[in-house]
Amino acid sequence: MASDDINLLVIVVDVNPIWWGQQAQRETELTLSKCLDAVMVLGNSHMAMSRTNKLAVIASHCQDSHFLYPGKSWGAGDSCEEDASSSGDGKYELLSVANNFIAEEIRKLIAKTDVTGNSTDTLLAGSLAKALCYINRVAKDHEVGQETKSRILVIKAAEDCALQYMNFMNVIFASQKQNILIDACVLDSDSGLLQQACDITGGLYLKIPQKVALAQYLLWVFLPDCEQRAQLVLPPPVHVDYRAACFCHRNLIEIGYVCSVCLSIFCNFSPICTTCETAFKIQLPQMVKPKKKKLKQQT
Amino acid sequence: MASLSEEVLLVLKKVRQRKQDGTLYLMAERIAWGPEGKDRFSVSHLYADIRCQKISPDGKSKIQLQLVLHTGDSTTFHFSNDSTALKDRDAAKELLQQLLPKFKKKANKELEEKNRMLQEDPVLFQLYKDLVVSQVISTDEFWANRLGDTNNSDSSLSNNKQEVGISGAFLADIRPQTDGCNGLRYNLTPDIIESIFRTYPAVNQKYNENVPHELTEKEFWTRFFQSHYFHRDRINTGTQDIFSECGKQDEIGLKSMVVQGVKNPLVDLLSLEDKTLDEGYGVCTTMPSTSNRTVKDSSNSAIIKRFNHHSAMVLAAGSGKGETAGDPASETSCTDGNSRDSDFFQPPVKKVKLQEAIEYEDLKKEKKPKTIALNLKKSDRYAHGPVPLQSQHYSTSQDIINSLNYIRHEMVNYKPNLTQVLCSTTASSAIAALSPGGVLMQAATQQAINQMVPTDVQGELKHLYAAAGELLRHFWSCFPVTKMKSNLERFQVSKLCPFQEKVQRQYLSANLTGHLEQMLQTAYSKFHVWQTRRMLRKT
Repeated sequence: MASDDINLLVIVVDVNPIWWGQQAQRETELTLSKCLDAVMVLGNSHMAMSRTNKLAVIASHCQDSHFLYPGKSWGAGDSCEEDASSSGDGKYELLSVANNFIAEEIRKLIAKTDVTGNSTDTLLAGSLAKALCYINRVAKDHEVGQETKSRILVIKAAEDCALQYMNFMNVIFASQKQNILIDACVLDSDSGLLQQACDITGGLYLKIPQKVALAQYLLWVFLPDCEQRAQLVLPPPVHVDYRAACFCHRNLIEIGYVCSVCLSIFCNFSPICTTCETAFKIQLPQMVKPKKKKLKQQT
Repeated sequence: MASLSEEVLLVLKKVRQRKQDGTLYLMAERIAWGPEGKDRFSVSHLYADIRCQKISPDGKSKIQLQLVLHTGDSTTFHFSNDSTALKDRDAAKELLQQLLPKFKKKANKELEEKNRMLQEDPVLFQLYKDLVVSQVISTDEFWANRLGDTNNSDSSLSNNKQEVGISGAFLADIRPQTDGCNGLRYNLTPDIIESIFRTYPAVNQKYNENVPHELTEKEFWTRFFQSHYFHRDRINTGTQDIFSECGKQDEIGLKSMVVQGVKNPLVDLLSLEDKTLDEGYGVCTTMPSTSNRTVKDSSNSAIIKRFNHHSAMVLAAGSGKGETAGDPASETSCTDGNSRDSDFFQPPVKKVKLQEAIEYEDLKKEKKPKTIALNLKKSDRYAHGPVPLQSQHYSTSQDIINSLNYIRHEMVNYKPNLTQVLCSTTASSAIAALSPGGVLMQAATQQAINQMVPTDVQGELKHLYAAAGELLRHFWSCFPVTKMKSNLERFQVSKLCPFQEKVQRQYLSANLTGHLEQMLQTAYSKFHVWQTRRMLRKT
């Protein structure tokens, strides 16, 4: 029994209150409650697949990233004894405890939301970093002979924040090194950063056509883990646009100039790099002087 | 059968070939053999085809002559005429020796080189077959590019070949065997002879002086082994022995080596002595005088001296690299390097050795390269990175407040309702989108091309690419010479179009040759542009 591998699934849910609030105002199909219900269904299914499967849920907010499950004071496998209110339907106790805890935490989180005008972006890079740290902690906690395989599922609602680019890329490469898959389920607008993340780490990127069927998409596409996916027919990988944007105009370019000192990308050659103020010279092709022909003396 | 115009130079009867009796005929241009009683020749070889002839050694009962052809085949003739077999065989051998060189094909070194290259490199061979055999380009053009590269690299490679050293035991390898009746048989191979000449240049000198006008090779070596020079106890008696001079030269050489000593100043050879505790357990103060040596001592020392000399000569010959092949005066003195320059060499060697002994690299200060700090003026560019500017979604503060209120209101009484998450119609539409052929699965239906195309077609495509690549490389490198364009056109017509048709016939819808055609088209258009420019310039 101890030789079973631990499969850890970390779900990072984007609970940007501004986006979800606007969403709720516009259409009532997918609200935050329905989204969280779908996430809970996925989490329960994952834990029901095997006794050694583990789950973690992180809510990614504008102010901070908050662990919805497991709680801070819990040990490696303990469940909180106080909240042992049985659901009455004979459900596996672990699942009911988890669901109740997640519901409790999200209520608390939304209740204490207080957003100022500047920070309206989801702190996704930070949540991913927290997820990586949690995975690292769990991976070190295993018994002898057990291996931990982990993956992260990001459910993204709001748009990308360009200012988090550096942190995002660091997270992506760190998870690539640790063999952690990053999957992405995008509700609204395509995210270039998440496409890159999925491509680099080997995960799946999916933009859902029907938001209301979120649970079905989650169960079909994101429930199987890495080895099982090889046996299934799943949506093919998306073509990722890896073109870089120049630093001067922020346009996507295919061929450009790169400063060798600070590695900033430009679309046109300029003799001084504007980021690090290094002077560059480019050798122009040599001008060949036309040879003067000696005029023959006409006798 | 022999044609009437052939001139028969030699006829030998009773020559067996493959256990059949017959007659051997040597004609002007070929050698032939026919069985007894029959008119026709069953074996006939042109002199031009024969690479070499071999004869059986003297003393064997069977007297045979073997002809080895260029192709590697060989034919053996057994001379079975009891009385004149040896004479016959020798007559045949002499005649062949005279005739063969006339017809010998000048081993075309280049041809051999080309064949070797084709055999070694299967890719090159395939390219050759595709381009030359199908007459897209001529052989000369094909080899024009290839040989130029390889000739340079080959000569440099051969220069870097390591020299073969000399085995220290080469004299022992001679291994004299008793001949049965009080004689000794020494087996000398060319390797051993070469080793002797390289180690003892004096012997080489004697060989060059005496052989072949005064002594035959066999006699030379017999005398060598008989001389006391070779044997253990070198007693230089008399001057009749041609090798007594060698003995004297060796003595001189050994003495000079001892005088030179060892270059390494940290090694003191003189302190290595046989120090034995004589009678009296070291108390005895009188040193044993060297003149009291017994006969046994002196012969022992002679052997040791001989041994040391031999080892020194082997080492010197192995590391000499042509320096030892100097004038006889310096032969003996340069066995250990140039004695004249030893004074110049000594101080640097001593310095290096002393430095090595004193200093430890680990304990020295680390030399870190000097680095320059990165000075960024606009570091905020790193925050967003090379990400294109996206249209920002602007929301007014009122929007934000409204949204927040709404969401707070919604989530205040949140209770998970997991039985009502999904209704069956939405679920089935989602499944339909995810099934093969659905909205999300369009790209997956395309099969990989390498599964659709049979392997032989793939192989042919690879060959086409290699050939086209070669031709295009040639074209672009010698642009704007006009000849290559016709080659390219010929290639397209002869190779590419049939392949295309074949692919189409097999109803393969994949466009396999599109890229090849595009490459050829680029070449054509570039050529055309150049041509029109040239026309304009002329007019």
